[in-house]
Amino acid sequence: MAVAPPVDSPVRWELSRRADGTGMLVFTGELDTESTPVAWRSLESELAGSQMVRLEVDVRRLECDSAGLALLYYLSIGGMTPGATVEVTGLGPDLQHLFGSFSKEDFRVLQEHEPPCSSIAEDVGAATSAWLADLRQQVEFIGETTLAVIRSLFRPRLMRWKEVLRVFEVAGVNALPIVSLLTCLVGTVIAFESAQPLAEFGAQVFVANLLGLVMTRELGPVMAAIMLAGRSGSAFAAELGTMKVNEELNALQTMGLSPMQFLVVQRVVAGILLTPVLTVFAMYSGLAGGIPVLLGLGFPLRMVLNQVQTSLHFGDLAEGLSKSIVFGAIVACVSCLRGIQTGEGPRAVGESTTRSVVSSILLIILADALFAAVTYNLRK
Amino acid sequence: MNGAAKTMIEARDLTVGYGDRPVLERINFKVHRGEVLAILGASGSGKSTLLKHLIGLYQPMEGDVLITGESLVQADGEERLRLLRRFGVLYQGGALFGSLTAVENVRLPLDEFTDLSEMAKDLIALSKLRLVGLESAATKLPADLSGGMQKRAGIARAIVMDPCLLFLDEPSAGLDPITSADLDALIRELAHGLGITFVMVTHELASIYSVADRVIMLDPQVRGIVAEGPPAWLRDHAAQPWVRRFLNRGVA
Repeated sequence: MAVAPPVDSPVRWELSRRADGTGMLVFTGELDTESTPVAWRSLESELAGSQMVRLEVDVRRLECDSAGLALLYYLSIGGMTPGATVEVTGLGPDLQHLFGSFSKEDFRVLQEHEPPCSSIAEDVGAATSAWLADLRQQVEFIGETTLAVIRSLFRPRLMRWKEVLRVFEVAGVNALPIVSLLTCLVGTVIAFESAQPLAEFGAQVFVANLLGLVMTRELGPVMAAIMLAGRSGSAFAAELGTMKVNEELNALQTMGLSPMQFLVVQRVVAGILLTPVLTVFAMYSGLAGGIPVLLGLGFPLRMVLNQVQTSLHFGDLAEGLSKSIVFGAIVACVSCLRGIQTGEGPRAVGESTTRSVVSSILLIILADALFAAVTYNLRK
Repeated sequence: MNGAAKTMIEARDLTVGYGDRPVLERINFKVHRGEVLAILGASGSGKSTLLKHLIGLYQPMEGDVLITGESLVQADGEERLRLLRRFGVLYQGGALFGSLTAVENVRLPLDEFTDLSEMAKDLIALSKLRLVGLESAATKLPADLSGGMQKRAGIARAIVMDPCLLFLDEPSAGLDPITSADLDALIRELAHGLGITFVMVTHELASIYSVADRVIMLDPQVRGIVAEGPPAWLRDHAAQPWVRRFLNRGVA
């Protein structure tokens, strides 16, 4: 019986079956990655339930690539004719060599392989252990950084001030436009959003007070710190991570230089110095963004400024600037730590960068919450 | 060998460089089926730059690269994709994808470019891994493979679509002598057994004498090919003393 292959296929075959359970399958044409999938399906359905005991596959007039050989190999191991003895004849020497590289045993091992799967308890244990180890590293790192900064302050020769100025410029001065723009818009949004509910109580003029307090105590430092984490902290982590991958950190150590003293201290000092500056810009930009809204609501500029002035005290400014110093130290320390913790492989630097931003923002918010609780109790 | 004289790749008046700065100017060479060509030269002579142009990563400033007679430079869309499938590339570090196992790395081109069944793809990928002697490491991640094994897996991935041409960038770099010799044996087997044509950039003289049928020597001073021929012949008879010195491991 002859089986018709697909009409437009470059491969043809003829299957003949005899009454004694033997058969002959003769291929002609080309069995490649294009034609093999169709031929595989057609042959599989044609040979299903054929009950053959012996099949000879003649490929003398067949050209094929690895895909075709995979089909011939599958035929040869009885994949389509279970229980039958299958013999493939007519393979050229090159193809014979490739054909010999197919292995049922390799396939069986691959099928039976299951990726290692750990239990939930193991996962939780490993995650807890990793978290504790990370916490310990963070505490150690903060301690080492503090000591290194103090040492540098007492021995200014150790401090590379040029590097501090470079970081100050790249992470601080260059960030001013984006920090100013964002906080300006935030000020506008706060003014608009608070104007409506305060109007219901006839207290729309207090929008100026609210804006002044929020920007000085809270959003100025937080927005500046978050921008620092996203824009510059990630750059610190990526820079140090790449240096680690390129073994530059090892080179420093073998030259007798401490990566902490050589790379981290400058960034932490620059971070501590630049964040208050960014914060002051953020405070003024926030106010500048809200004032036009108040002017639009009909309040004269002098009145708005007077409201801001009477609502703000030195303590508010001190609180905002204190926060910003702490936030700057957090962002610089965490980013440098994540950079130094960079592992191996192509994804390591990306992971460090992500971890630096996430950890920085988390710690900023945590520190902000602590500040809020402490200052609330101090004001009582 | 049937069709041994067929030209698999040809550089025709090829000028390559970066921006408007040429590194190599108007170079010409052909590589025939089953031949192993080694591109040699001092550091900075443009070997890697030439390789990147031959495999179509960069557009040449002038000239053409012909893959089995068809222009890679002028091809685009489907035609370019068809030409790209005619060759495989082994990058210096293997360039295996770290999140995939060895067999998944090898299977990747089959997954992307064919409609074969899962079983067929596994069978083919495993057969290529067996060809390079890595069948027992099929389920390992690249991080768990040694440098030599990563290069072997890289070769398995490069040949999985049955290319007629294979480019190797520093295949022996960083390998110990035994692993390097094993890799050379594999290259010879693929070239002479399966008729795959090889173009390799390398500094390893032992590998060159072991596998290369012909070498071309690049010189940064003349921005071109200064010597061409079988490595042993060039070592003894090259007109340029520095070429003989180069192929004699620095001994004049």
